[in-house]
Amino acid sequence: MKTRRDFIKAGLALGASLPLVNLDKLFAADAPATPSGGLPVALATTKSILVAVRDGERAAMLDKAMAELGDMGAFVKKGQTVLVKPNIGWDTPPERGADTHPETVKRTIEMCLAAGAKSVSMFDNPCDQWQRAYTNSGIEKVAKDTGATLVSGKDQTLYRPVDIPNGKKLHMAKVHSLVLDSDVFINVPVLKHHAGSRITGCMKNLMGVVWDREFYHRTDLHQCIADLLTLKRPTLNILDAYAPMVRNGPRGKSADDLVVMRTLLVSTDIVAIDAAGAKLLNQQPSDVRHIAIAAEMKLGTMDLEQVDIRRLKLA
Amino acid sequence: MLTALTAAFVDFRGLVPSPIGHRLAEIQFVPSLVALLTGTSLSLACVIIAIVTLALGRIYCSAICPLGILQDVIIRLTKWRKRKSKPAPYAQPHTWLRQTFLWGTIIAAAASWGGFALSLLDPYSNFGRVASDIFRPPVTLANNSVVGLAEAIGWHGLFRAVPIWAGAGALAVPVFVLLLVVVLAAWRGRLYCNTVCPVGTLLGWLSQRAAFRLQIDQSACRKCAACLRACKAQCIDLRAGAIDFSRCVACYNCMGVCDQHGIHYRFAWTRKAPISTPAPQSVPDAVSDPQRRAFISKTIVGIAGAAGISRVLLADEKPPAGNAGETRNFSPVICPPGSAGVERFLDRCTACHLCISECPTGVLQPAFLEYGLLGLMKPHMDYRAAFCNFDCRRCGEVCPDGAIDLLDVSAKHLAKIGEAHFNQDKCVVVTNGTDCAACSEHCPTKAVTTIPYGNNLRLPSLNDDLCIGCGACEYACPVKPDKAIKVTGLREHSIAKKFIEPKATLPKPAGDFPF
Repeated sequence: MKTRRDFIKAGLALGASLPLVNLDKLFAADAPATPSGGLPVALATTKSILVAVRDGERAAMLDKAMAELGDMGAFVKKGQTVLVKPNIGWDTPPERGADTHPETVKRTIEMCLAAGAKSVSMFDNPCDQWQRAYTNSGIEKVAKDTGATLVSGKDQTLYRPVDIPNGKKLHMAKVHSLVLDSDVFINVPVLKHHAGSRITGCMKNLMGVVWDREFYHRTDLHQCIADLLTLKRPTLNILDAYAPMVRNGPRGKSADDLVVMRTLLVSTDIVAIDAAGAKLLNQQPSDVRHIAIAAEMKLGTMDLEQVDIRRLKLA
Repeated sequence: MLTALTAAFVDFRGLVPSPIGHRLAEIQFVPSLVALLTGTSLSLACVIIAIVTLALGRIYCSAICPLGILQDVIIRLTKWRKRKSKPAPYAQPHTWLRQTFLWGTIIAAAASWGGFALSLLDPYSNFGRVASDIFRPPVTLANNSVVGLAEAIGWHGLFRAVPIWAGAGALAVPVFVLLLVVVLAAWRGRLYCNTVCPVGTLLGWLSQRAAFRLQIDQSACRKCAACLRACKAQCIDLRAGAIDFSRCVACYNCMGVCDQHGIHYRFAWTRKAPISTPAPQSVPDAVSDPQRRAFISKTIVGIAGAAGISRVLLADEKPPAGNAGETRNFSPVICPPGSAGVERFLDRCTACHLCISECPTGVLQPAFLEYGLLGLMKPHMDYRAAFCNFDCRRCGEVCPDGAIDLLDVSAKHLAKIGEAHFNQDKCVVVTNGTDCAACSEHCPTKAVTTIPYGNNLRLPSLNDDLCIGCGACEYACPVKPDKAIKVTGLREHSIAKKFIEPKATLPKPAGDFPF
């Protein structure tokens, strides 16, 4: 079992290995990305990078975005264990847009394996019946096709209680061991409207890694969402905004709730990417309280003026 | 049959395809009879079983009834332990008890209490509950203990499941039945089938009149009693040289052990007194007693009449289902979608618990007294345990006796089994001043949406017409112990309004990035 110490070591090793790869073309001189295995690294003086791609198919947009960031190899090293965390919250087919589209997830996994990942695992703690959600979202088939391991998110024994010393209201949570133990943590949510949290993107998707979501709802939804990030932030966030659900979220009623935008966002800055997501849904990032709180807690950049946005169009 | 049905009932992973579970259950006598008599489906299994019994005896009891086969397993285990068993002497039938249970069931059915009587006495349902409520949780636990090993060797094909235990009240009956069956079977073979079971008695009555019956060939019999040792039913009277074929469960053990080939099937419809059948008084049931015959026929006519009258009465009482202007009568208990309403459900359901075993969310739980005594052990929707998955129709797929119809997906989406009630004063948004909307988030029909409230908050808002009572909101509500949003059942299910929105167009996809 991996201890926190191993984890820090791995993170440091990874950080140390960074200068060895050729990053010149990947990151502008002033913007080193933070593939730090999720460890918060102070970004006070450097700008976060946000890659935004438009007008392509899902896999093609992801290819383009990752090329801009130096390919998956910049984040996944040979022999590392990778957790890919899609949104598989609902027992709905891919065309309903309530779960991350299988195409995006599949491409992500393929890239990780091509980069030499030892294993790729996935799970979610769904709201609907979990096996039905895994199957009908198309994610189960992706796992089968790619060789990724799909792990139960409804098995309490797989969650470990951890302290969250820097949390303001969430001081302790049972977190899925895959999040705690994987070398690389890639967050692959889908962008949607949300009746309670206004939007759901990268930050809200991480509610699926804790066992007791009720505590969030009972205590302070937005604050708890932000608090969890003080424990661990994903190595990389890939936000599927091909056809976001713009109303009736997060479950949606029909495919009529979607608007096709053919957009994909990728960033290591979870706050910046959600801020951009909010803008796509015509919301001010500061109105989405968990984004504002996370920015205030210095977990990322909400002000997109301060973000190095790479805008790419495929058509 | 026992293995297959057990697999269907302990199937906590949903591996047995529902059509197979349904078929296995559908060929059982009582579910088939209920389905046929209620006009749910042209289920002919009961007719075929009756015809086969009238031809060859109680083959259903030996080869199809899972409770019967379970007793055979117990009998075998006891005999294996004892090694050399003593011959079980012929025992007098408990005719009175048998008749009481059978006629009790029939009269109860006529008085529209049949669902209750059958839920207590149907052998298939009794087996189902034993397997579902008593066998399934330990099997789940055993699986869970193996998962760790599988994971240790890097195999993730297995997963842990939460063992679902029925409440003590609902568990009491299956525990009692299992104990009763084990004790009776170990003590005196198929005594349960020939004393308590109304299906055994009914088929026994037919079997006694079967075209082909097992008979002892007096000229070959040396009275060695090997057949007595092998007989499960204590129905061989060696002294009289007769077999009480009403109690014979057609296991043919006697034929197998008789080295004189002294027991044969003989066609018994040709003569009034077949060669080897002795005087009528040795056959325990007074078959040819004209008074008894008259009594039975009168009773049947009476019961048919009572049934007819009660049907008419009930039909008058019930408001037509699906009527838009119906007066909604709320029910404290919620029955599953496809059951049409509490009354019809209790009439038809024999509480076999196949739906409970198969329900992937575990929202279906056996009731204790939620429905009242008549609904003891029948499945109800327990929103503390889970909520009904919107697209799932598994209970309707497996139900063998037409208590839960298999609705089309679109019909299931509108099948209104209850209605949510929102208590704003308890809602987190009001009491805590923070966003929540777990109810709206989970609501599949968007009967619960949110509206702006206070300082940049969103408060749940309920549209009764769209609510189907699936319980997602109640389950998700974080308020404890008394939830802020709760579902009340409907006695008569209805159809929710379908709300269609035009295709979403906003925010308009711009030509460029909005940031």
